[in-house]
Amino acid sequence: MKVSHHWLQKFFDEPLPDVAALADALTFHAFEIDGIENFGDDSILDVKVTPNRGHDALSHRSIAKELSAILKLPFAHDPFGAPEIPDFSVAGLQGDAAKSNSFPAVSVTLEDPALSPRYIAGYIKGVKVGPSPAWLKRNLESIGQRSINNVVDATNFVMFNTGQPLHAFDAGKLSQKDGRYHIVVRKARKGEKLLALDGKTYDLNDSQLIIADGNADVPIGIAGVKGGTPAGISETTQDIIIESANFNGVSVRKTAQALKLRTDASSRFEQVLSPELAARGMQGILEFVQHMLGGEAAGFADVYPAPQQATRVSVSVEKINKILGTSLTPAEVSDAFMRLQFAYKEESGTFDVAVPMERLDITIPEDLVEEVGRIVGYDKVPTVPLPPFTQAVEINQNFYTAEHVRQDLTAAGYSEIFTSVFADRGERTVLNKVDSVKPYLRATLTDGSIEALKKNIPNKDLLRLKEVKLFEIGTVWKGGKEEMMVGIVTEKGKAVEEPLSMHAPKEAPTGYENLPLSITERFQPFSKYPYIVRDIAMWLPVGSSTKDYEDIEKIFFENGTEILREYSLLDVFEKGDKKSVAFRLIFQSFDRTLTEAEVNPIMEKISVTLKEKGFEIR
Amino acid sequence: MAEDARGHIHPISSLIREANRIFGAMGFTLAEGPMIESEWYNFDALNVPKDHPARDMQDTFFIKDEKEMVLRTHTSPLQIRYMESQMRKGIQPPYRVIVPGKVFRNEATDMTHEAEFFQIEGLAVGEDVTLANLKGTLEQFFKDLFKGANVEVRFRPSFFPFTEPSVEVDMRLIGDNVPEKLRNKWIEMMGAGMVHPAVLKNAGVDPSKYQGFAFGMGLDRLALLRWGIDDVRHMHSADLRFINQF
Repeated sequence: MKVSHHWLQKFFDEPLPDVAALADALTFHAFEIDGIENFGDDSILDVKVTPNRGHDALSHRSIAKELSAILKLPFAHDPFGAPEIPDFSVAGLQGDAAKSNSFPAVSVTLEDPALSPRYIAGYIKGVKVGPSPAWLKRNLESIGQRSINNVVDATNFVMFNTGQPLHAFDAGKLSQKDGRYHIVVRKARKGEKLLALDGKTYDLNDSQLIIADGNADVPIGIAGVKGGTPAGISETTQDIIIESANFNGVSVRKTAQALKLRTDASSRFEQVLSPELAARGMQGILEFVQHMLGGEAAGFADVYPAPQQATRVSVSVEKINKILGTSLTPAEVSDAFMRLQFAYKEESGTFDVAVPMERLDITIPEDLVEEVGRIVGYDKVPTVPLPPFTQAVEINQNFYTAEHVRQDLTAAGYSEIFTSVFADRGERTVLNKVDSVKPYLRATLTDGSIEALKKNIPNKDLLRLKEVKLFEIGTVWKGGKEEMMVGIVTEKGKAVEEPLSMHAPKEAPTGYENLPLSITERFQPFSKYPYIVRDIAMWLPVGSSTKDYEDIEKIFFENGTEILREYSLLDVFEKGDKKSVAFRLIFQSFDRTLTEAEVNPIMEKISVTLKEKGFEIR
Repeated sequence: MAEDARGHIHPISSLIREANRIFGAMGFTLAEGPMIESEWYNFDALNVPKDHPARDMQDTFFIKDEKEMVLRTHTSPLQIRYMESQMRKGIQPPYRVIVPGKVFRNEATDMTHEAEFFQIEGLAVGEDVTLANLKGTLEQFFKDLFKGANVEVRFRPSFFPFTEPSVEVDMRLIGDNVPEKLRNKWIEMMGAGMVHPAVLKNAGVDPSKYQGFAFGMGLDRLALLRWGIDDVRHMHSADLRFINQF
């Protein structure tokens, strides 16, 4: 989620530290930062909000609140700070004609409150639609949003500010009955379509929740996902209905997925939001009505059949220390809760915390342990080894056997491969492979090992192998069961496999064998291009010495250029007082396929140089 | 220059052998389990709710015509399986177990991602196993693995459904004999945390009496770091130009 440094500053009186310090604070106490970008003189943080905090933290307010706790900066301007939330149910409550007085208001029907736990509709008369002021445009553009008009921008601003998605309908395009608008939240009917604000028509089905103009019985929006053009805001719009609602997360996610239409609203609802937030969202837009949009609030409906219950969670200082391995004092714990603005009662070291309504992630004491741990800082967690273990370590027979087989086979010249479990044939299949090739689970190791053998044979010289010999210890699915097999393959023999269990030790082992580890320090990248082999044999001068070998090596590398990868001694024999040596040279490039035309002149030069130095080429 | 007469074990095998030795010295038992796993062990028992995005078709391989069976997406199902089997034998905690093995994600492959890869899981449960013990255990592991280097371990907040609190674990190697690419740099190593009480409960262990830590580390990535390997696809390449270097 993109978060603007300037926008965050609005929540504080004291100046925030620079963006690097903010990134550090969040990284070590809240969320990873995926990146930092500049936008004019502003800096934009890309905050990776964890899935458990999707309930509350996808907003500037929440990130600012985190920073307030982490950096101990007073959270001076909390949009939720106003103690009084207007009672939106007072004027124009559904079915309560007496309270709605004489002005035309709006009523709301929720056909399935499990899918739409709350819906606040605000009827605003006489707004002036036009371009947004510069500050609003800039705020939205800084986080990658496009400015559309002042009404739409205001709803978007409130969403990115508070986390509550809003939607504005053009009331002029809705039907009235007895002077009243009627919003219905219901499942779509089979065959219903909606031309959405993105210009695309969506075919809806009866598992998808929509917003309908109840009087005309037509869809005007896909609940929690996208509004429709039938009630879209235009330059001529005068009266609007603002939706600040709560929708079921799973339902929104499935709809957005099915329609391939993931929006900033749907990605918030799918995290499950607190229905209490809806009131804060409506409160946020009313400030815009007052200061920017013009018009006046002319009626509300707030249908909220099962209000969210307050949550309290208790944790003791003792438990916090027991889990974290720290020795925090009650004062330090209370400081963490105060910085997080968690109201609590403390009694003999136990904190009974009133969980803020939007923090749906906090339900058990361990959740509070995490809050304290991260706010205090995990650097305060000491490094403590586990105490010695009194029980003996059990020996895993399967692993013991696999290790023993590895040892035997490597000693016999076999190298270990791992090949894919996915195959062209087998008894069991995976349903949904993204690359859609080889959907079977292998029933044998041999297909994979034969393929591996073929691939390795051309590299034999490079590998200095007389024969390629491979083994794999791996799982197959055969005869309805999953079994670990050991398979071997060589150039000369057939590929064979048998269950690993056949190699199990006769007596239960009492400990693992002390087998060698790889002593390699660094991997050497190798060329993926083919190589060219050239052999060269020569007579050494009489009375040859190691000096001759050094000379030969020098000639090889001086003339071989960077494409001479390596050379090896192939053969030595003596005839009378003369000694013949043969070498194998391997040429290979890291960036191209070599040609004979490139290698032949090099060999010619090597040959000539050797002759000049007194070696007689055979 | 001589012929290579002895075969080579795969670097992942060497790493698992070494990890088993290091963790074994700290009292951890090695356990293994099935690769085709039920959704219960792979998700539900680990406190991953039914509608969690991780359970969507895109990340998990589902087995055709076998209801609620998947290719395990992590080695964590063995947390449940191991604790359950101990409880069935009437053995109460403390438990210490590591689980190396192959896991699967339904993703396109590239230089850093494979659809099948290796993980090592660690679990320690007892009456007083703490997050501080997790730090101590991992620091010891990295010290033994990167011999001769000074090792620092740090935690950052994170989230996994099966741990609470959850942390990301970074490691830093300090010392002249540390390869330059790794020297003095914080490197993200794994996800970890304190076992969620619901996970203990699902395995039949009393969460009011016992607690513990768990971690899950990618072995391929560890091998990449350890040996400076440039492409994770070497791991399943069966290419001896790669394997015979180890």
